[in-house]
Amino acid sequence: MRSPFAYTPRPGPLQAASPSAAVAYLGSLVVVAFVYSNPFVLAAVGVAAGLAGRLAGAGGAVRAAIKLGLAIALPIVVVNALVVSRGETVLARLGEWPLFGQVDVTAEAIADGCIFGLRAVVVMIAFAVYSACVDPDRVLRALRPLAGRSALTATLISRLVPVAAADASRLRDAGRLRGPRAAPLGRAALVRRLLAGSLDRSVDVAATLELRGYGLDAPMSAECDDCGRRPRFDTRFYAVGTLVLTAAVAAKLAGADQFDAYPTVGVGIGAATVALSALLVVAGFAPWQPRSRSARGRGTVDD
Amino acid sequence: MTEAIAPVRPAPALAVEGLTYTYPNAFRPALADVSLTLGAGEFALLAGRSACGKSTLLRAACGLVPHFHGGEIEGGVSVAGIDAIATGPGDLAAAVGYVAQDPETQVVSTTVAAEIELPLEMRGEPCISRARAVEEVALALAIPHLLRRTVDTLSGGELQRVALAAALVTRPKLVLLDEPTSQLDPVAGDELIWLLRRLNEEWGVAILLAEHRLERCLAAADRVIAMDTGAIAFDGAPTDFLAWAQDTDTALETPAARLFSLADITPLPTGVRDARRTLTSKEAGAGERVGGPGGALGFSPLSGRLSPTRRGEKQDAAHHQDPRPSSNATAVELRNLWIELNSADQVRDVVRGVDLRIGRGERVALMGRNGAGKSTLLRTIAGLVDPVRGKIDAPGGIALLTQNPSDYLVRERVGDELPGEEGRAALRVVGLEHAVEADPRDLSGGERQRLALAIALAGRMEGEDLPGLVALDEPTRGMDRARKHELVELVEALADRGAGVVVATHDVEFAAAFAERVVLLGDGVVIADGSAAEVLSGGWYFATEVARILDLPGVVTPEQGAAALAEDLG
Repeated sequence: MRSPFAYTPRPGPLQAASPSAAVAYLGSLVVVAFVYSNPFVLAAVGVAAGLAGRLAGAGGAVRAAIKLGLAIALPIVVVNALVVSRGETVLARLGEWPLFGQVDVTAEAIADGCIFGLRAVVVMIAFAVYSACVDPDRVLRALRPLAGRSALTATLISRLVPVAAADASRLRDAGRLRGPRAAPLGRAALVRRLLAGSLDRSVDVAATLELRGYGLDAPMSAECDDCGRRPRFDTRFYAVGTLVLTAAVAAKLAGADQFDAYPTVGVGIGAATVALSALLVVAGFAPWQPRSRSARGRGTVDD
Repeated sequence: MTEAIAPVRPAPALAVEGLTYTYPNAFRPALADVSLTLGAGEFALLAGRSACGKSTLLRAACGLVPHFHGGEIEGGVSVAGIDAIATGPGDLAAAVGYVAQDPETQVVSTTVAAEIELPLEMRGEPCISRARAVEEVALALAIPHLLRRTVDTLSGGELQRVALAAALVTRPKLVLLDEPTSQLDPVAGDELIWLLRRLNEEWGVAILLAEHRLERCLAAADRVIAMDTGAIAFDGAPTDFLAWAQDTDTALETPAARLFSLADITPLPTGVRDARRTLTSKEAGAGERVGGPGGALGFSPLSGRLSPTRRGEKQDAAHHQDPRPSSNATAVELRNLWIELNSADQVRDVVRGVDLRIGRGERVALMGRNGAGKSTLLRTIAGLVDPVRGKIDAPGGIALLTQNPSDYLVRERVGDELPGEEGRAALRVVGLEHAVEADPRDLSGGERQRLALAIALAGRMEGEDLPGLVALDEPTRGMDRARKHELVELVEALADRGAGVVVATHDVEFAAAFAERVVLLGDGVVIADGSAAEVLSGGWYFATEVARILDLPGVVTPEQGAAALAEDLG
């Protein structure tokens, strides 16, 4: 079964943009998520990333990222509540725990954990959109002239990870099909066999790379620069990314990131916070593409 | 004064001179004093039993041996005038394309277009010429619709075509292919061979093709090179090869040649058309009317001459060797089975409302094109996939051997895989009791498969413990005919012990050899279910070579065909 995060070619501005433009756009959202702790701003980043994924046709990846993010966020909240005893609003005194010491669960620690969890979910969504919409071949092609060996390693890994996953799935199936008197599969035997198989596989993939000419000197012109064309939507994503970062810095200077977890929770909802949040949500529309003229029936194209 | 211009002779596509090669840590050479020359535009078939050196020769011709594998090498190899031993495979790739057996490990990019473009990009070709080359090779291989797809959504046949496209995109003088049809159904396999022939004729590409199923490609080849234990045993025209195989190694005979050999007809045919032509001339020589009504191709050498009664007699006679009385005990029964799988972002019905019953002791071939649902059906019966609707009743249980027997081998000693007395019993049944101390990786392909089967059956070998159904999924991939014969014996032994045996296979000749019943799947539904003789003689693709030559109902094996010919022509 295909991973929801796997890249799928689709028509759309985000897929058509160069990897660097897509990274500039999605990266600006991730930077804001790391720089800000205000829940409204973080939620706005999450909405923007989700909206961008939805408009780029990667709704499945966004949903999977939310599920995965929540599965990571929940333990973060629980652990933070157990290990941090700061905060004035004590909800429960759980006494002395081995390793943890005195455990007091406070509303502030839970709120702080929620911020960490929300940040994890938001970053996960942005990476899911990147993974589902940005062609890894173009990324590697862009990397090759800069770092040939690293690109080779990345290519091997990007190819071997799905192959190893398929191998592991097959080995587990074969393990379930062993007769009752055959030695059971066992985790150690499975891992050992998988590693040995991966080595064989990597030799085969490396041989293919060798035949394709990977050992030759990497050409200097990697992306389609020699065609003299810049991908059509690059300007839009660079502009939105720059705008988001500039606004984030300006809003920070204007005090938009008001959030204190301790000793009591305090969230600032000033004009700067609202304006930045609104701008972030609007930035989520960057991958939007209006229907083409021919699709609206104004004209037809005969090939 | 004008001087006569001497014609320029192109360098041979491949020239091998006194090549001897030994892999690192190997005790004996994989290639021993091999010399051959392949002219520009030749189509040569590389034949021979498993492990005879075919793959090593191909790897030497593309530079992987010795540059990638290491080892000791003597002699010379040149490709289109380039010294392959002095030059690395990357530099050679402009002159030679290589397509290996397993398409999974031959793709290194995410999308098809990027995969095909990669060799040109590595050479610094400008973007515009790369785009043109990708478009042209995609058109030549009929895969333009795949260019935007990601490689993990392709079928085995599609992947094999993409790998071929990546090998051809640099417009090489020579293309090397190592058993490219081993994972393809008969339709895709035939398409690939004739595609190669077309490329050979239209582009002048020299082809060197290693293959076990010679009947698929002999008619397309100009020349056959047969190898035996690392050396060239035969090098000549296809018709001469058949005469050589008849005298030297009958495991390399094609079914058509075996048919003529048994019927004492000469010359031996290289394919169906050749055989039909010879039979027609024999009939004409015997003063009979040539051709006749009927026959799936609109022409049949014999069908017009057999009376309906005699045809019926033949069908009965041809009904597989010792047809087992249909068992009342059920090995497995499927009722209205529906199976869904997720593929490429969408849910697809892979099996649609299948009803099927297989009795104990029955030998059944499950056939159909790539993606027809054969493997999914077996995996569902074995409990690896849950059906969305329907019922599976397998009262005696099922033992399934999946496509890759190596998946069952996870330890470094055969005895550790099958411990105890019951493990020894399982090894005895598959004839591997001598290999208890061996490392599974040191066993031959056929032995590994038997060991995997013993692991699947361990503790269930005797009496009531024997599974009601033993299923094997594509067990003949990469097998030579001798090993297939061993497998037929194993299948018969299991059926004799009372297990129903079902084998999913693309190999029609193997199906004709072991099966008494054939179930043909098409797009998830059963489209034919009958005796092997009936199903394998009633079509174009899912028919044996003998059936396609004679077009006689119920005649599928060379032995049956020879009997029919002796009766008819004699």
